[in-house]
Amino acid sequence: MNIDFAPVLDRLPYLISGAWLSLQIAFLAFAMGMLIGLFGASVRSYGPRWAQAMVGGYVVFFTNTPQLIQIFFLFFALPDAGILLSPLQAVLIGMTLNAGAYLTEIQRAGFESVRKPELEAAETLGFSRFQTIRLVILPHIVRVLFPPLSNQYILMTLGTSMAAVFGVEELTGRTYNINSETFRSIEVFSVAAVLYIAITLIATLSLAFVGKRFFRAKMRWF
Amino acid sequence: MWSQIAEELPRFFGYHNLIFFAKALGSTFALSVIGCVVGFSAGFVLATLRMSKRASLMPLRLMTTVFVELFRRIPFLVTLMLVFFIFQGLQADLSMFSVALVSVCLIATAFIAEIVRSGLESVHQNQWDAAATLNFSYWQTLQMVIIPQAWKIILPPAFGFFVLFIKDTALASQIGVIELAFAGKAMSNKGFSATLVYGTVLILYFMLSYPLSRFGKYLETKLAPTRNR
Repeated sequence: MNIDFAPVLDRLPYLISGAWLSLQIAFLAFAMGMLIGLFGASVRSYGPRWAQAMVGGYVVFFTNTPQLIQIFFLFFALPDAGILLSPLQAVLIGMTLNAGAYLTEIQRAGFESVRKPELEAAETLGFSRFQTIRLVILPHIVRVLFPPLSNQYILMTLGTSMAAVFGVEELTGRTYNINSETFRSIEVFSVAAVLYIAITLIATLSLAFVGKRFFRAKMRWF
Repeated sequence: MWSQIAEELPRFFGYHNLIFFAKALGSTFALSVIGCVVGFSAGFVLATLRMSKRASLMPLRLMTTVFVELFRRIPFLVTLMLVFFIFQGLQADLSMFSVALVSVCLIATAFIAEIVRSGLESVHQNQWDAAATLNFSYWQTLQMVIIPQAWKIILPPAFGFFVLFIKDTALASQIGVIELAFAGKAMSNKGFSATLVYGTVLILYFMLSYPLSRFGKYLETKLAPTRNR
C-alpha cells in the first residue's frame, strides 16, 4: 500500500470550495428548519388539538425514518406525481423537512422550560406583556435552547455529506470525483475527513464562544 | 399514478420480493443491534478511561479523547468509505457487511463514549470526594457510587442515539450492503414505481425505529431526575 498525497493536495482548492457549498447547504436547511420548528413548536404548545396532532404526526414520521430515504422519495417518487426536483433542490427540501421535525421538538422543550413563577414574578413587577417577553421569556429560552440547537447544527453539517449520493458536488461529492480521477482513495477520503473535522471544530468553538459570551448558556468547548 | 401502483401491488408483494425485503430488514437490524451493543460496551470503557485521573493512563486518555473528538466529526458516509478503502488497501478480504459493521461500531463507540462521559460528569464532585475519603479505589467508586447514580442520566440520550443510529445504517447501501435502503434501490431498478418502493422502505424503517423511540421516551419520563442540582 503506497500513500501519496500530492495529487490530492493539488486539488485542495476544489475540495475547499466543495466544503463551502456543504456549509451553505447546512446553513440554509438549518435556517428554514428553524422557521418550520418555530411554527411547529408554537402549534404544539398553544394550537388547537387537531393541529397539535398533525404536527405530532409530522415530527414522529420524520424523526423515525432515515433522511436518506426521505430524499430518495422526494427525488425518485415525486416525478410520478409530476414534480421534478434537481438533486440540490431535493437534498435541500429533504434536509429542511427533516431538520424542521427535530427543531420542533427542541424548541418545544425550550418553550416548556419557562416556568409559571417567572411569569408571575414579571407580572408582580408590573412588566407589560412585551416587556415580559423581551426581558424574561426570551433570555431564558435562548439560554436553554442555544446548546441543543448548536449541537443540531453540527449534526446537520455532517448530514450534508448525504448530498453526494444524489450527485451534488459538495465536499463528499467532490471527494468522489477526485477519487475516480486519481484513484488515491485513502488519501482523498482522509483529506475530506480532516476538512469535515476542521469545519465542525470551527463551528463548535465559535458557537460555544457566542453562547457563553452573549447568552450565558452552559456550554463546553469540547 | 395510483392505478399504476394498484396494478403493481400483487407483483410487488410476491413471495420472492417479500423474502428479499425480510432479509434486507434482518441485515439493517443486525447492523443496528451489533453496532449498539459494541458501541455501548466500548463507549462505556472509553468514557471511564477518559474520566480516570491516574498519571500512568495519560497516553491512553489522550488517545481516547482524540478518537472520540475525531470520529464524532466525520460524516458516517466518509468513515464508511475510508474504512472500505483501508481494508482494500490492506488486501483484507472482508465482506461488505463486515466493512459496514466495523464503521458502524467505530461511530457508535465515539458517540456513546461522549454520552456516557457527560452522564458520569453529572454526578457531583462531592460523591467522588466522599468515596475517596472512604478509601474506595477508582473502579470501586465508579461501580458502587457513580454508575448507580449516572445510569439514569445516560440511558435516555443513549436511546435517542440508537434511534438516530438505525437510520444512519441506511448509508451502508452506498458500499453495496444489502439492507433496506439497498433493497429499495434494487426494487426501483427492477421497474417498480418509486412511490411504492420507497414508501414501503420508509414504513419498514419506521416500524424498526418507532418502538425504540417510544421506549426511549418512556425511560425519559420514568427516570427523570427527582432533584435539581
